[in-house]
Amino acid sequence: MIPSPAPTIALEAATRTYDPGGPDQVRALRGVDLTIPPGEVLSVEGPSGCGKTTLLNLIGLIDRPTSGEVRWDGVPVGSRGERDRARLRLERVGFIFQRFYLLPTLTARENVELPMRAARVPPTERNRRASGLLEEVGLSGRERAYPHQLSGGEEQRVAIARALANSPGLLLADEPTGELDTASTDAILDLLQRVRQSRSATLVLVTHNPVVSRIARRHLTMRDGAIVGDVTEA
Amino acid sequence: MTPWGLGGALRHSRLQAILAVAAIGAAVALPVVLVSVGGGVSAHELANLENAGYQIVISASGIHGIENAHALAHRILSTVASTTAASPVLSIAIDAFTATGGPTPILAEGVIPDQFTPTLGPTEDGLFPNPLPLGDPTDDLHFDNGTYVGPATYDVLISTPYESASGVKVGDRLWLGPVANRSQAIAYNVTGTFGVPPSLLGPTGAFAIVLPLSDLQVMTGYGPAPSAVIPDAADTIEVSVTGSVATNPSALNAVRAQVQALVPFYGVSSLTQEAQQLQSASSVLTGFYLALSSVGISVGLLFLALVLLRRVEADRRSIGVRRALGLPGRSIAAGILLDGIVLAALGAIVGLVAGYLLVESIATWAKGTVKEAASLAVFSPPVLAALVVGILLLSLLASGVATRSALKIDITEALR
Repeated sequence: MIPSPAPTIALEAATRTYDPGGPDQVRALRGVDLTIPPGEVLSVEGPSGCGKTTLLNLIGLIDRPTSGEVRWDGVPVGSRGERDRARLRLERVGFIFQRFYLLPTLTARENVELPMRAARVPPTERNRRASGLLEEVGLSGRERAYPHQLSGGEEQRVAIARALANSPGLLLADEPTGELDTASTDAILDLLQRVRQSRSATLVLVTHNPVVSRIARRHLTMRDGAIVGDVTEA
Repeated sequence: MTPWGLGGALRHSRLQAILAVAAIGAAVALPVVLVSVGGGVSAHELANLENAGYQIVISASGIHGIENAHALAHRILSTVASTTAASPVLSIAIDAFTATGGPTPILAEGVIPDQFTPTLGPTEDGLFPNPLPLGDPTDDLHFDNGTYVGPATYDVLISTPYESASGVKVGDRLWLGPVANRSQAIAYNVTGTFGVPPSLLGPTGAFAIVLPLSDLQVMTGYGPAPSAVIPDAADTIEVSVTGSVATNPSALNAVRAQVQALVPFYGVSSLTQEAQQLQSASSVLTGFYLALSSVGISVGLLFLALVLLRRVEADRRSIGVRRALGLPGRSIAAGILLDGIVLAALGAIVGLVAGYLLVESIATWAKGTVKEAASLAVFSPPVLAALVVGILLLSLLASGVATRSALKIDITEALR
């Protein structure tokens, strides 16, 4: 499958307020301006509740900004309807979550095939590609295992394979090693670097683990819903 | 179930799935029993009507409400073309005494022998001797133009159940009276027996006798004027017509109209009309049964909706993950709808089987009328198919509620 190209992502004065005007109003993002070139590896760091995940959700089109806009290659996409954003997520974004979020009733193979099935990839191709991805993440022979039969590291490998299913140009990882021990963390980071490089994909990592952020060249620091630091290594 | 929908999740909550199937099964079993038994009884009665030996019936309001029955029967036969028999029938419960026992309540039917026999249907025809051994076949001798002073033969036929129970045989004497007092009873000669046709909804007639109409009228005070409240009374007059008329609805209706013109103060209906009325009543009853059953079906489907909603709540995260990955809402909706339809279909199958087994059990183990009604049950494929299709359509509604709830899940909240 031809990988979808990594888009140039731009957030323009993006805000996200939960329960606006209500008693539980939370201003999670306060006018963020950000541009992410294609192929960049970017870490987003900061204390809990500073808006890291909200930023990731806007970049990945899971959520819509309360005001401002999210553009991909100059095209406004953040304010589009759920159906359009779902299609873009399916075809161009790969998500990796801290708690893996594999579907417990599906096997490793079925979890990996899920996005392909939704994208109407033919069964033979789906099967071939799922086998290749599981082999790539080091899980050959574990295709029929259910999530509860896998270790944490193995679950995250399946999640990475699932994220790569439709060959996205944008990989978003929210605390991808937050539930893993040190050995597994190193292995997962190696894997992430390898699969990103082989696909020239953009990788955005949300973390507050310095070990994880080391694989990024650009480091954003957030506080109280705003970007307070943006450093790119030489 | 597809592992891609919520069906996979339902595999892991078998108890809820089983309970939902059981609820729908119970809801479906009830209409299956009601409709099949009700339809079977209606069909049986309809068959009885169609197999009757008469085609037109005259009836009056009130009991024993037709007066001058002998004269009316003669008049119908002499003035209305195509009529072959006009049989007045008077049915009254009286008391019977054997030589040593009694009284025994018994259903007496007064008939004119040579008019009664042609009005018997194929089933009844084989149960009665032909001709009826009741002395004067026309009943005119004793009736004697309404004076009732002619000679009576005092012959009576007894039913075979009564024969068995009482020990009375052909050739014995039987005392019959309007009240439970032997001194007011009259001695009759038992000249024959008759079988009792299978009966479901009418009088059982197990202990029954048949005697000349005039005898019963005199015995019960429905005979000569002016002492009788209703002189020469009968409950009905059953009229037979020629074969060509019997099979031609418009010709039969024309004959019915001629009879009606003779007796404008009585009800005159053809069995075709009665059959139509019975079919209409049967349809109304079927609708009523389904309406009654809709309560149970509603509860079953409500249960299904609750089970699916509960699954959606339990799978909030899974649904959130699917939507975050970009799976379209329709694939999530399809999974829930599929679950709903599969559960409803399983429930419908369980209900059909349970309903069938219940009816068979009743027909095997119950007693009396309930057993007979169950044994007549008709499992009509179109009706049952319509029931199943209705359940499946309603299950879409139940699934729709859960689908709506699933599609309203906030992805970011579900992933927290």
